[in-house]
Amino acid sequence: MLDVLQPAGLQLAALSQLALSHFLMTAAILFTLGLVGFVTRKNLIVMFLCTEMMFQGVVITLVAFAMFHNNVTGQTFVIFVLTVAAAEAALALGLVVLMFRRRRTLDANAWAAMQG
Amino acid sequence: MLTAILLFAASVLGALALVLLMPRPGRNLRPLGALIGVTALGGAWIGVALGTDLIRQLAEGALGLPSVAFIYYYVFSFIAITAAVRVITHKRPVYSALWFIMVVMSSAGLLLVLSAEFMAFAMVMIYGGAILVTYMFVIMLASQNEPQHEDDIPDYDRVAREPLWASAAGFLLLAVLLSIYYAPNSVQANPDAAMPADTDLIASHLANRALSEETAELASSPSSSPTRLSNAERVGVDLFEEHPLAIELAGIILFVSLIGAVVIAKMHVPNEDAIARGTDTPDERPEGAV
Repeated sequence: MLDVLQPAGLQLAALSQLALSHFLMTAAILFTLGLVGFVTRKNLIVMFLCTEMMFQGVVITLVAFAMFHNNVTGQTFVIFVLTVAAAEAALALGLVVLMFRRRRTLDANAWAAMQG
Repeated sequence: MLTAILLFAASVLGALALVLLMPRPGRNLRPLGALIGVTALGGAWIGVALGTDLIRQLAEGALGLPSVAFIYYYVFSFIAITAAVRVITHKRPVYSALWFIMVVMSSAGLLLVLSAEFMAFAMVMIYGGAILVTYMFVIMLASQNEPQHEDDIPDYDRVAREPLWASAAGFLLLAVLLSIYYAPNSVQANPDAAMPADTDLIASHLANRALSEETAELASSPSSSPTRLSNAERVGVDLFEEHPLAIELAGIILFVSLIGAVVIAKMHVPNEDAIARGTDTPDERPEGAV
């Protein structure tokens, strides 16, 4: 598998700009879908799933740019993105459970009073 | 110019498809939405391939990754995008979470195509293994009874909020991004960012790196040599040489969120059952009570 991806003697050639654009396109679509989902869905759990999907788009963007510039700093940064995603999931889901215990619903509109 | 117009048209079609796919009362226009969506995505890809010199680069292998691997880009992207659409359009949160696992798997495939193996496996383990399991647990904790048929699904899952405006805004962003990405020479590679050669890295940081028996076994294929670093080793060197402070901060973030999660989980909700029965509405309780 690795030999298919990195042929012998090829020291990790940098990605061409066109290939980079393709990966960025997929990443942008994932990010947009997450954004639209976050705005349109009313279920708190699905809303947080959508933020995770935006993270996916960002991760693909970072790795594609890392390959384009032919270094690994972008990949290193993905580790920190994963850290933030894990911390966010732990806290957000704890809050969702707490909110569900108080209102017995996952409807985001049940907390419309917080709009002020 | 033609490519830009085509990408804009594809974005508009995509927005339309998403509006049709969103959960809504009344007529079911799902198949039409799916058809328009696939047309938009396929049209964008074919149009880009025809409008740029993608085919020439594929034939010459000038993409920076093998042409065979680039085919997998289309496969994994298609799966990822379809699954992502299902995540945001499915009426039941459990299925949304399951489709999200599909998104994670296929974007891990995309990372493999980009030969970022370590990141791909980390994504599968952390997202697919840890985060999604947490989501499933919360979904199970926070649902009263499994809906048996369509009418049991609560209203807030059945009707999307302002799908038209949200899709329009989102896909306007997408159209702008794509027009920038596909503008000629919009991104210049930074020559200073180039990775130092593996031999230099081994000499400076990994002097004691010896091939153990197992590694030698694995690396016995003629293409790999002891002087070539794996993706995980490269990331490791970069992580610990260039970003030591950031690692410490990441540890603090995780620690704080661990404490926060425990505090949130132990919070006492008074009269939980009374709230459920409707005898004690939460709004009547005194300020500051949690």
